[in-house]
Amino acid sequence: MFSIISLLYFYSFYPSLLFALHSPLCCWVTHVRSLHTSGGSQQQEAVAAESEPEPLSIFRTQENDPACQSEKHFGQYYTLPSAHVRTVFPHGLPMRYKQQVKTFNEACMMVRPPALEVISSLKKTDNSKPAVRYLFYGLKGSGKTMTLCHTIHFCYTQGWLVLHVPDAHLWVKNCKELLPSSFNSSRYDQPLQATEWLRNFRITNEPFLSKIKTKQRYVWTKRESTEEGSTLGELVDQGITRVKTSSDVVGAVMKELRLQSGQPESDFRLAVAVDGVNALWGRSTIRKMNNTAVDPEELTLVYNLRKLMKNDWTGGAIITTLAQTGAVYTSKYSYLPKELLGEKGFDSMDPFIPVSVPNYSEKEFESCYLYYMDRHWLQYPHSRTEDGKKELIFLSNRNPSMLERICGFH
Amino acid sequence: MVCPSLFSIVTVGENMAAHTSRAFLSLGRINVPGLGLHKSVSRVTYSTGLSTDSSKATTGSPQKGGKKVLSKKYKREPGDPRTELMPVDQDWTAVYPVATPFIPDAIPLPVRMGCPVKGGAPPEKKGNLELIKIPNFLHLTPAAIKKHCEALKPFCTEWPSALDTDAKCDEHFPIKVETKSYVSAGPSIRNPAARIVHLSVKLSSLNLNDQARKKMLKLVGDRYCKDTDILTITADRCPLKQQNYDYAMYLLTVLYHESWKIEAWEAEKTVADMEEYSWEGSLSQENILDVLVRMKEAGEGEGEEVREQLLGRREVQEYKDSVTRLKNEGENESTMLQYKEAVKKVLKL
Repeated sequence: MFSIISLLYFYSFYPSLLFALHSPLCCWVTHVRSLHTSGGSQQQEAVAAESEPEPLSIFRTQENDPACQSEKHFGQYYTLPSAHVRTVFPHGLPMRYKQQVKTFNEACMMVRPPALEVISSLKKTDNSKPAVRYLFYGLKGSGKTMTLCHTIHFCYTQGWLVLHVPDAHLWVKNCKELLPSSFNSSRYDQPLQATEWLRNFRITNEPFLSKIKTKQRYVWTKRESTEEGSTLGELVDQGITRVKTSSDVVGAVMKELRLQSGQPESDFRLAVAVDGVNALWGRSTIRKMNNTAVDPEELTLVYNLRKLMKNDWTGGAIITTLAQTGAVYTSKYSYLPKELLGEKGFDSMDPFIPVSVPNYSEKEFESCYLYYMDRHWLQYPHSRTEDGKKELIFLSNRNPSMLERICGFH
Repeated sequence: MVCPSLFSIVTVGENMAAHTSRAFLSLGRINVPGLGLHKSVSRVTYSTGLSTDSSKATTGSPQKGGKKVLSKKYKREPGDPRTELMPVDQDWTAVYPVATPFIPDAIPLPVRMGCPVKGGAPPEKKGNLELIKIPNFLHLTPAAIKKHCEALKPFCTEWPSALDTDAKCDEHFPIKVETKSYVSAGPSIRNPAARIVHLSVKLSSLNLNDQARKKMLKLVGDRYCKDTDILTITADRCPLKQQNYDYAMYLLTVLYHESWKIEAWEAEKTVADMEEYSWEGSLSQENILDVLVRMKEAGEGEGEEVREQLLGRREVQEYKDSVTRLKNEGENESTMLQYKEAVKKVLKL
């Protein structure tokens, strides 16, 4: 009892640590242990690692479960298990980060405030309420896609079904094959993009494929059809093997999941994650045979994804990111939601929760710098000096992607 | 006998630098016979005139003939420039009463002008052509202007005592007309730029209701400044100022009456034509009401009264304010933050 009183006295000095009380029991125990032993302040310097006998690294944390991360892990890197990286992110990570993972032989991600804000909201989602939409926005290279991946990792570890569209811009540009849709003659199919997406979807959501059953009969051709009550896995296989019908299969998968999530009999929660959501309401560079531009609405994939974006279904969440990097017909410097989404996009997404992803703060920059030093990514001795650090700050303006590129040369 | 005296009169009568050359010439003419006397006199005066000029230009230098003849008697030293003799509290308007070119010895300022010598200063004012070429306003000093004003005062009437503040002037005389007139020294007193007339009026002083004001703004376009609420009509299409003024007044009258008229086709105004975003009846309102109904916030009830009840809620009002502000003012950090807070409150997160 005395220990509890002393703990409460301790907490009165560090009120933010009280959040530790709300996390599940396992984390509570580890937190108590760490507080007893470390007892340091979490002001400028990050709190040291847990009390277990391990080398003290300020920029790393052993808390690899996104559900248990809290403010005291801000700025610290946590490691993603490689099995998770293979299953959850067959297509989701940014290209440069994938190269970094291969070089460093580990996938480390920084814990940052925007991700934890959305994760804490996701923990409190009510299954009976309509899906809430979150939108990450920020300057180019400030870490929006990485934040989205962090949130997806959380959803995966909690057992949600993750429907991840890695880059919606890929669906509105560089289309090698465009077929008129068999289902609706005014729309167009994109078989290649659809098959690739279905393949990656299958890798991520292997366990759910055999559990979810379709509620409707789908007829593909005169001889092929998927009966009611067949598993989702069969539907997905149908799309992968029969490439011509893959876009319609994608539409069917989305419809099934949308209808079934949140129902009392289904036990899964749906997380829809779209990167570059502004592509859905923008312009496309695809041309029809008579050289007129194709409106994104006329593409089956985009049409079905737009239906998913509406919050008329329950039992999950929609997490999206704006992206200017792959966008077509947008200015290089635009990053705010209304200018990238446009009037139509904003009205469709409204009401949503915009979450700003800023450049690194001072603490986060320190952490990143120490991580690169630890991985021997900063080669030159000049970068180890104070002057070198100031040079890095000046050149990159603490922008994460710029810093990563510049450190490769330092 | 007469001749030498005449010559002497002539020589004495000449001013400044009496030169050896002159004396030489006059001496040379003594032996001329009587008839040629006049001629010689005139010739001498002419030649002395010439020699005077040349002597002024080459002060102090030896004469062109190469012969040095001393005549210190007739050389007059240049005195102090007038600037040394000027008292500090003199009346400057007497020194420069009218526009006059720059006179270095009359202006007690150490002015320098021109391209500086390498490593040195620009040339001084004495003999400086650059200072003479440019126009100067030494005849328009504050003291001179004061004198002008004093001279003009008998011809002026008094400012009306009731109009002692700017606000009262605006209230009684809302229309302000601005014209420019030009004066220049030249063969013609006309200037085509003098025909331009600017007429400015504050829209708040005109009697316009909401619809009329919006129509007026659409009609005038760029001529209206939003920050100062001033409509400026510039007329320059007629050759005379008076005609342009009449035209500007006519334009103002026509604009006012036209903006009060309502045409039949104005009823077809669409959302895209609206100047400002209004939340009532917009997609945003539909969305939020839809979401709230599905969240079953209002409890059971029929369509209209549920909607009314939801609209009356404080969170919904805050949400409405944030969306209107976002759409009208544009996006920045503060509007985005306000929108985020409002959405969180409405969706109860």
